[in-house]
Amino acid sequence: MRVCWMYHDIMDLYGDKGNMLVLSKRCKDRGIPFELDTCGIGEEKDLSSYDLLFFGGGADKEQLSLIPDLLSRKENIAKAIDEKTFVLLICGGYQMFGKYYVAADGSKIECLGFYDYRTETGAEGSRCIGNIVIDAQLDDLHTKMVGFENHGGQTVGVDHPLGKVLYGCGNSFDAGWEGFYDGKVLGTYLHGPLLPKNPKIADFVITKALQKKDPGFQMSDLQPLDDTLENSAREALFKRFEIEGDK
Amino acid sequence: MQKLAILVTRLSSWVLSKMGRGGSMPGRLGIKIAPDCLNHLKFGGPVILVTGTNGKTSTANMVSDLMEEAGYKVVTNRKGDNLRVGITSTLLSHCSLSGRVKADAAVLEVDELNMKYIVPALPVTAIVVNNFFRDQLDRAGEMERIIDTIESVLPDYQGDLILNGNDPNVVRLAMAAPNARKIYFGAAKNASTVEHSAEAAEGKFCPKCGSRLEYDFYQYSHIGQFHCSSCDFATPKLDVCPDEIDLDAHTFRYDGHVYPMASDGLYSLYNCAAVLAAARSAGVDPKLAEKVFARAERPAGRNERFEKAGRDCILNLVKNPTGANEVMKVIEKDPAKKTIVIVLNDNAQDGRDISWIYDTVFEKLMDDSTEEIICTGTRAWDMALRIYYGGFTGKIRPEESMEAAVHEALQAPHVYAVATYTALLPTRNTIVKEMGL
Repeated sequence: MRVCWMYHDIMDLYGDKGNMLVLSKRCKDRGIPFELDTCGIGEEKDLSSYDLLFFGGGADKEQLSLIPDLLSRKENIAKAIDEKTFVLLICGGYQMFGKYYVAADGSKIECLGFYDYRTETGAEGSRCIGNIVIDAQLDDLHTKMVGFENHGGQTVGVDHPLGKVLYGCGNSFDAGWEGFYDGKVLGTYLHGPLLPKNPKIADFVITKALQKKDPGFQMSDLQPLDDTLENSAREALFKRFEIEGDK
Repeated sequence: MQKLAILVTRLSSWVLSKMGRGGSMPGRLGIKIAPDCLNHLKFGGPVILVTGTNGKTSTANMVSDLMEEAGYKVVTNRKGDNLRVGITSTLLSHCSLSGRVKADAAVLEVDELNMKYIVPALPVTAIVVNNFFRDQLDRAGEMERIIDTIESVLPDYQGDLILNGNDPNVVRLAMAAPNARKIYFGAAKNASTVEHSAEAAEGKFCPKCGSRLEYDFYQYSHIGQFHCSSCDFATPKLDVCPDEIDLDAHTFRYDGHVYPMASDGLYSLYNCAAVLAAARSAGVDPKLAEKVFARAERPAGRNERFEKAGRDCILNLVKNPTGANEVMKVIEKDPAKKTIVIVLNDNAQDGRDISWIYDTVFEKLMDDSTEEIICTGTRAWDMALRIYYGGFTGKIRPEESMEAAVHEALQAPHVYAVATYTALLPTRNTIVKEMGL
């Protein structure tokens, strides 16, 4: 499995690098070769050659500096998606696949526009901050996702949300829905980081990535791992928020 | 209303102190009665503020001691009550009914987000800024916002601005303060200086033009000698720059004189440099700081050692990746067999967001000398997961009860305990009890 972490030195807020640790370990523990590459501003890379593209979240000001480079890669990213490269987007990365986002200072930043959703800024600098639990549906996988959200951006016009909010805000204050998923791209505001406490999502992402080279590969083909720690961490939070755990 | 505010604050402070308590309640009452009560206070001498992410309390306490050493009667919020209400409590309970503060100098530790209230309200003569790191991000949003709020009160500020010249995010404040006299402090290269660093999360881009920053060397995290790759933004000429830094002997030299370091580690040296720069700003003989550094109290949970009958336990506070990484380095240096207990809480003062544990290099703990890592606190399982995904091959033991975790850890002869803010005192108490001290 070949992964490209886009703009890793800019888009790494709130421990997003933990997601790469999880993918790497869950592949290696199963004997699946795992290769992590990075792509910075100005670097020549054919993104369609990877099985997975990962974008994390960045600080407002720093994130701005990569926009021209990102837009110059638009065709290449579209080609990657067409050719079944799976895309995992967290927070800022999620916003950048929509039409535009409005930065905290009010300026409107044109984005890739692959989808119709767009991100306005929270009124008077308000932010959605706190623990979040959602009930997510990804293809045949139905699972709860748990994480921590911290975003001023209010994402609206999402036609394929990832899941229903059980605790927390989601795409915007009182949105009721969180993230985006259409079979090719998974976008979410969940930091935490996302994958350590959501092992099924990690395995789902690995499966989607492996399907690029092996379209028949199923999640059930993955060798089971001992997820005792992961499940205990989830249960502790479900208990705290009085949410029924996964059965 | 001003007199009433002072009266009520003084009275309630007095009552609380008779009950053996302190706190912010008196200041809260004072502000309620006269919202602008700070604006009308009269000061007879320097008003020095200390702010930044790490080291505020130590630095402010040392500046306060220095001023006392120089003969000033000082009013200070020594207990670290650094929000607007706490500062109001401190000042109003030390002033006459006419609003004259009964001291020759005020030294105040100020929370970064409260600078916007304090700077415009008081006749501030000097502001010391130590550093800016990611800290309690969920409370403040992003570090950028913290810096913005401080910058917003600087355009009219006419006092001294005492800045860490090795932190680009601190140096940028100078651009927002055209009327201030700038004094820069830093530190010379030493044994722990490195040319490359993977820890410099906050120093990647020039705050002036957005281009990439380049470093000649790093001291720790993003603290070091930097310059912009395309504009003139760079570490300025340092007015106070300790050299001949000996981290083992805990000494350094400044202006031809050798000083003891107040505590371990390079970040403590920067606190000392800030104090020397404050001395320069206030026109106080820097040599007076020698005594201050020598007797500086090592706060609880900063490499605090407990020892009995051949067993020992070393306790450290961690509150953000930068501070935590420094703690990891100290533990990594110890080759002896050890057990480690990590207490991770996610209460408001710890930061509700615990993702910082992934920005901290816990991998430094993961060598053969670490036999077991016990994870506890309100986020015991998250901590255990972090260690697991970090690739630790020794024993990982999650334990929801802190007392049980500390008890288990202390079965080993050599233990390191690492605790977040709200976990520190309970953990300390448990260690003292378990070891029978």
